[in-house]
Amino acid sequence: MVATITNPLRVGLRQERVIAPQCLVIFGASGDLTHRKLVPALFELFKQRRLPSEFALLGCARRPWTDDVFRGKMAEALAPRIAENPAAWDQFVGKLFYEPVDLQKPEDVVRLGGRLELIDQQCATRSNRTFYLSVSPNFYASGCRALSDAGLLKDPKRSRVVIEKPFGRDYGSAQALNKVVQTCGQENQIFRIDHYLGKETVQNIMVLRFANTIFEPIWNRNYISSVQITASETVGVEERAGYYESSGALRDMVQNHLTQMLAITAMEPPGRFDPEAIRNEKAKVLQAAHLADELEPWNCCVRGQYGPGGTKDNPLAGYRQEPGVEPNSTTETYVAMKLFIDNWRWQGVPFYVRTGKRLAKRLSEVVLTFREAPVHLFDAATGGPTANQLILRIQPDEGAEFRFEVKSPGSGMRSRPIDMEFSYDESFGEPSDEGYVRLLADAMLSDPTLFTRADEVEAAWRLYTPLLELIEDSPWQLPIHPYESRTWGPAAADALLARDGLLWRRP
Amino acid sequence: MSPQLTLQTPLELVPSEVPTYLEQLWSPEQQGSTGTGASTFCLLIWQPAWAEQHLVRSGRLKGPITGQQTSDLIAAGRQAITEADLPLSTPPLDGAVIEAVARLQGDATAEDLRGQYIDPALSALMPRRLITLAPTVAPSKGLETLVAAYCPLPEEGGGTTACGDVVVLRGGDAALQDGMTILEPLLPASMPTWVWWNGFLDEAPELMARVACTSRRLIIDSAVGQPRQCLEVLRQRVESGQAVNDLNWLRLRSWRETLAMVFDPPDRRDALSHVTQLDIDVEGHHPAQGLLLAAWIADRLGWTLDSAKTIDEETTAQFHRPDGTAVNVHLMGVPVGQPNVHAGQIVGMRLICQPDNGKGVCVILCADSGGCMRLEGGGMANLDLHEDIVPVQHATPEMDVARLLGGGHDSTNPLLAAAAPLAAKLLG
Repeated sequence: MVATITNPLRVGLRQERVIAPQCLVIFGASGDLTHRKLVPALFELFKQRRLPSEFALLGCARRPWTDDVFRGKMAEALAPRIAENPAAWDQFVGKLFYEPVDLQKPEDVVRLGGRLELIDQQCATRSNRTFYLSVSPNFYASGCRALSDAGLLKDPKRSRVVIEKPFGRDYGSAQALNKVVQTCGQENQIFRIDHYLGKETVQNIMVLRFANTIFEPIWNRNYISSVQITASETVGVEERAGYYESSGALRDMVQNHLTQMLAITAMEPPGRFDPEAIRNEKAKVLQAAHLADELEPWNCCVRGQYGPGGTKDNPLAGYRQEPGVEPNSTTETYVAMKLFIDNWRWQGVPFYVRTGKRLAKRLSEVVLTFREAPVHLFDAATGGPTANQLILRIQPDEGAEFRFEVKSPGSGMRSRPIDMEFSYDESFGEPSDEGYVRLLADAMLSDPTLFTRADEVEAAWRLYTPLLELIEDSPWQLPIHPYESRTWGPAAADALLARDGLLWRRP
Repeated sequence: MSPQLTLQTPLELVPSEVPTYLEQLWSPEQQGSTGTGASTFCLLIWQPAWAEQHLVRSGRLKGPITGQQTSDLIAAGRQAITEADLPLSTPPLDGAVIEAVARLQGDATAEDLRGQYIDPALSALMPRRLITLAPTVAPSKGLETLVAAYCPLPEEGGGTTACGDVVVLRGGDAALQDGMTILEPLLPASMPTWVWWNGFLDEAPELMARVACTSRRLIIDSAVGQPRQCLEVLRQRVESGQAVNDLNWLRLRSWRETLAMVFDPPDRRDALSHVTQLDIDVEGHHPAQGLLLAAWIADRLGWTLDSAKTIDEETTAQFHRPDGTAVNVHLMGVPVGQPNVHAGQIVGMRLICQPDNGKGVCVILCADSGGCMRLEGGGMANLDLHEDIVPVQHATPEMDVARLLGGGHDSTNPLLAAAAPLAAKLLG
């Protein structure tokens, strides 16, 4: 029973909320996300005994598969996980079903309703359904309409819709999409997913801020001089060129994931831990945020695109050489920008946000840099005193570190910076669940806390509207700076901070 | 938040009319005026409130009688302990206190509002039906049946039209037994029914058997009643396959959590394979909680029980670990000056691990209500010491019950299911 892998005293201590009997319907079940993320997340929930015994997963796509074919495909995709626990898979696989459905064909959706009723009888799922739209964004509106027209969203307590990112392409399209989905169901039935919010460490930002008294008093413009939010990837565009060409880093990462990290870092404390209270505060802070120079966004934003790189033995192709990418593409694979938040807490504090593909390291982090001590009493080993920094590491090596000055050993009074570290791994020794595990469970529990509300999504798009318009209307004003693969992005991004006398953190 | 009364004055009905009345109240024709009946759950509460009834009758406590565990009630209980010359370590609502106040003279009366006070923690969950069985101290009192519809106020999360109702069955023992006949039709099969036995586990066994049948989810408190009987009821119910929730087990959570936290860092986990001794101190004479903790640890670490004996306030047991090494467990009741309202709360625990090669580890956890000097003594200086303070839970029983109901679990927690039979065996 005692193993070094798990803490035997920890087992069963988390009192998870109970998911009500239900059927999860995934549209786009033949797609990548279903077998890479969704079904593995559900299998994980099953293994953790967090799915009710009355549960069914109905995969829907246009392909004319049968239940058995779908089960076979999923088994193939999850083979390494299944090998770890074949008995659990044998039980789980019986809960998987498949129905060929084209959401554009009303007769298909009507047939789907019939199949769901059969599943209700077969699996006792009590007409309780979560519909997951893992389809092309072009079909979000029509998909919702089709479900609504078929009466499948009629009961707000027993039906909900999960919508993947991107929710719209800009402020106008997000507004239009919100209007459509809100005519199909109530806001509390709509779950706009951002898998970053499912990450333990993103949620930990809230716990760190609001469960401790030491941080909140200094979490403001009086003590913090700047904030950096980074999400860097080492991989290139891989097989997503088709999608990426039309989105770019700004739409793919900044408008959703980085903006959510910004909102959680900068929001005011909610009055209670309640979905609406939290989402109100997030929406408020996003409404107060703006680009540092909205009239001339090129002064506060840098776009880049990765070029070739790597080594002689392991050469890396540049973005324009990737399969499926236009040879003269101007899609950005890197973006860095400076934002301000006009409220009492953050007035004048710059928020620097950057993301990119093929950068030097894969990581996501939030770095809060504190103001320098008003008087420098000591000689600093590094030449000048280092500002205190609180680094919240989202991934990998999840945790936090606090950098502060201490006396350097020796007879003098020289100061030097050291890092005080907290690592999830060292403290808990248990891997965190994937974001989708948490978010799928929350959606099925009808808990919208970690999902974005209509006004949040719109505020996030509005924040970047000047940039999007500039890229659309006069892209030459925001040129693409090439950068070598596996470096920290273009020199222009360094210059953006250098103008403020700062440097990007080199983690 | 203070408890809230039903908005409507309860209607007194002849018992046989209650099911029909409620059926009509929630019929589709009536729903327009009263709102929709919530499709949530029914909660049936055994609410004797003996201490409160006797304290009110003897003039030691002002009414009304609500069945809630208020600070006034606890203070009156403590006062009664002094007056009756009971040991100061007696919990304020203990059976001994009730016996003492039952002997007191007095015939003061107060309004009996049991079942009509709805704790906000419970009403926030929008129960469809709250049925309270309220036995009176006068055994010959006839049966009164009260009914009221209830809709949550907007600040409670109302504003929706999901409503519920409360039913109170009040009377002497015989009258309540007669009233049982109307219970079945009042508990619709379409939603789960929870039974909260908010009284001694060794009282009214027949009634308990009748209301807490296996298909219903049971909530008990193994700290209320004679310890052997408490653990025996818990064991029987768990082994019968009924969904059982124990408030005493729920209150153990902070001890289990704190102990687990000590061993979260992977480099400390190996020590758990080398435990040689476990000592637990509990308040007063009720060892149930301490035994549940010992049983949980034994189960999680795969120990096998060899022998156990209890003499007075001391239980000693010998286990062996999976590697065959003996583990000694010692549980002791210690007197405290200001005992917790819940009998037998853990005061401290000590876990000693002695790896064959390497430094031993000693974990000492103390309740924040007092010190645990006894456990800190005994030549532990050569061990790697980890000490921590465990916060005492101050939640009211209603809040604990609401937490259970909100969790919605329809089966016994597997850890409790494993620990309860072992705890009963330890007490032998």
